[in-house]
Amino acid sequence: MAFDLNGVTYETDEDGYLVNLDQWNKDVAQYLATQEGLDMTDAHWEVVDFLREYYDEYKIAPMIRILTKAIGQKLGKEKGNTKYLYDLYPGGPAKQACKIAGLPKPTGCV
Amino acid sequence: MAAKIETETLTGDINIPSIQPGATAHYKSNPAKEDHNKFLGFPGARVENWREAAVEHMGELLGKYKSLRVFMDICVRCGSCADKCHYYIGTRDPNNMPVARQELMRKVYRKYFTPAGKLLPDSLTGASELTEAVMTEWYSYFHQCSQCRRCSVYCPYGIDTAEVSMAAREIMDHVGIGQKYCNEILGKVLKVGNNLGIEPHALKNTLEFVEEDVKEVTGADVRYPMDEKGADVLLVAPSADFFSTPHIEGFTGYGKVFHEAGVSWTVSSYASEFANFGMFIGNYDTMKKVAQRIRDAALDLGVKRIVVGECGHAWRVGYSFWNTLIGPFDFLDPKYPAPQHICEFTLDLIRRDGLKLDKSANDEFTVTFHDSCNVARGSRMGDMPGGQFEVPREIIKAVCNKYVEMDQNTIREFTYCCGGGGGLLTDELMDLRVKGVLPRANALKEVMDRHGVNTMAMICAICKAQFTKVLPNYGIPMETVASLHQLVSNAVVLGGKIGV
Amino acid sequence: MGGLSALSILFAAMFYAAAAALFFGFLSKIYQFAATPSPLKIPTAPAPTTALGAAGRVAGEVLFFTSLFKGNKWTWLGGYVFHVALALVLLRHLRYFLQPTPKLVELAGPPGVWAGIIMTAALVYLWIRRKAVDRAAYISLLADYFALGLIALIGVTGLVMKFVIRTDVAAVKSFIIGLVTFSPVEMPADPMFMLHLLLVMALMVYFPFSKLLHAGGVFFSPTRAQVDDCRERRHVNPWA
Repeated sequence: MAFDLNGVTYETDEDGYLVNLDQWNKDVAQYLATQEGLDMTDAHWEVVDFLREYYDEYKIAPMIRILTKAIGQKLGKEKGNTKYLYDLYPGGPAKQACKIAGLPKPTGCV
Repeated sequence: MAAKIETETLTGDINIPSIQPGATAHYKSNPAKEDHNKFLGFPGARVENWREAAVEHMGELLGKYKSLRVFMDICVRCGSCADKCHYYIGTRDPNNMPVARQELMRKVYRKYFTPAGKLLPDSLTGASELTEAVMTEWYSYFHQCSQCRRCSVYCPYGIDTAEVSMAAREIMDHVGIGQKYCNEILGKVLKVGNNLGIEPHALKNTLEFVEEDVKEVTGADVRYPMDEKGADVLLVAPSADFFSTPHIEGFTGYGKVFHEAGVSWTVSSYASEFANFGMFIGNYDTMKKVAQRIRDAALDLGVKRIVVGECGHAWRVGYSFWNTLIGPFDFLDPKYPAPQHICEFTLDLIRRDGLKLDKSANDEFTVTFHDSCNVARGSRMGDMPGGQFEVPREIIKAVCNKYVEMDQNTIREFTYCCGGGGGLLTDELMDLRVKGVLPRANALKEVMDRHGVNTMAMICAICKAQFTKVLPNYGIPMETVASLHQLVSNAVVLGGKIGV
Repeated sequence: MGGLSALSILFAAMFYAAAAALFFGFLSKIYQFAATPSPLKIPTAPAPTTALGAAGRVAGEVLFFTSLFKGNKWTWLGGYVFHVALALVLLRHLRYFLQPTPKLVELAGPPGVWAGIIMTAALVYLWIRRKAVDRAAYISLLADYFALGLIALIGVTGLVMKFVIRTDVAAVKSFIIGLVTFSPVEMPADPMFMLHLLLVMALMVYFPFSKLLHAGGVFFSPTRAQVDDCRERRHVNPWA
């Protein structure tokens, strides 16, 4: 599977995750979000930014609790919880947010 | 986003539907990629002579597995199992009746391995060649079995569809027809040490996070160590415990229990996975390789005991198979069972009055317990048959004031699978997973309505991931799902009786 | 065998062939079941922790169909009644094989007749069940109806000889005794008996090549026969 955007072809896996993670940019994220029916707000971008930062260092998406805590520290304690993340990303912070952030799909019992 | 999956309204009753042939024939898990298959020693893609190779391999398995040998011959199609599978109840597809699922293999068995099937017309014997269409059915329906063994409880001959679906998947892998979800994950665990692919420095970071978090909330210095040589206990948890919620809450609880027990423990970054999908694909060598990492880590770290976390199928592998696969455990302290389940560890401590517990910490919860299928029907805890039911319940009752059982026909050895086990916990099978949870969701709904249950505790990483994902489709909030050791974690008064 | 009619010789030959097929066919399957290794411990839990306990569990399945009882009461009823009746019928039939007739077999005489009626009725019930329940209809093969029908016909021909066209039981007994002592005598010229015997021989041949193997196979089912002592005693996989 693949999609074209601004003259570039992006290969994805069966679930729509980018195959080549280096190809990611904000336009791609915007495109993937639209595909998911999401309207990217600043809050959405905060999550994406954190995921990418974490991935850069650890080569894996962060544990959900690490993500919620980081978001809570950034946007206020009342937003540092799973429910807030699910409100932003109804498909799940681990799977949907990772897809938009250009991270590989988490595998395993998740 | 995929369209919302249509669900039945929960009534609190489990009804047996009439059959609807072909209802789920189109379900298909994503096929494994070439490198997934090759890494496990399977052909990268379907081999040219796949029919002959598959039949030949089936013959080999018939000679190696008494279960398969006997089960192929002795089913009388009485139908006792027919209405027992959660996938049949949820999907109505008659091929999801265990006996019909087995017949998908048995008809091929008759064709190539029985005198009648070889000599007489197929119309008389019900035999079938292994055609493309049959292979399509195999791939679809043997990936609609969660290997939960509920059918085997009700079979007059103990025929276990799990054994048949494992053999079918092994045959398919053998000819290059692999399933992505399982095979990709097996590659990760064998390369990195866990199903998620968490590398050591990331795992270390996660454990430090938990340590700081516990310190922040409780003020206590509870340690969550990694790769510490000379620790007494090697803890092997499912890697979802390092990633998901409510898994991590349970993991946090294990650490508190060890802390209070005064027992030194460690996680291994080399063997940071209890799950063993080698069982799901029915491949003995892969299952052994995954398990071997744990033996190697235990020896390397010089531990005296192996304690394992909340993971259902892995407890079956650990309890029932490890001794055969990677035993004997003569290098461990013989005073303790090898492996020991974290629930056995915790209950032992509770019984010796070694934990100070504040039950009221869980007063906002009215709790029920979901018996995970592989624990219930594939393992044991403690000394007595059925300990796998009593041990977790005794813990819950020690840490909670309000406990309620679900319907008798849906618990203990009669428990229903969560609908996501056996290598089916993958997004492309979401429809199946949502339908497969139906009987459990109804049983849960009944105690929610009648007794105000708001928490379902469990000891399986797959169950936790599956329920949090699919129960909301039925209007049951994901917060209902809890790790058993999450309740323990809530109730433990830290520093109460360390080392008693 | 001088002086025997061609028909008697034919039936005697067929009987020995059928008996050999049953004996060797069944034995070779049982050997195959017994000889195939069990790589892993797979008892369906909760399972007994001692060999005696596991034997008791298998005995419960064989004598009371315990798991089927858990699964479906109506199927259990039909199946259990059929099997108990069949056992009584077989016990009663020992009178044709043993000289003199043992006391127990004699006692089984009158209830054995009732059992014949009940057995045949149970088979009809089991047939109807397969047709009437949509799940059972879906999974039923020709072989399933064949087995029910064959045994039912054996029952009917037996009952006809008892109640409608009485057969000469003394002649039947001497014929059977002749067969089992390998000194065949002239068979009674009774078409109903011949039909009955033909059907029985068909069943004997069919038995080891069919699902009727459940009779021996149940003893080898690892999920029922294995002991749960996985952690206490190391089970060794013979091929790994």
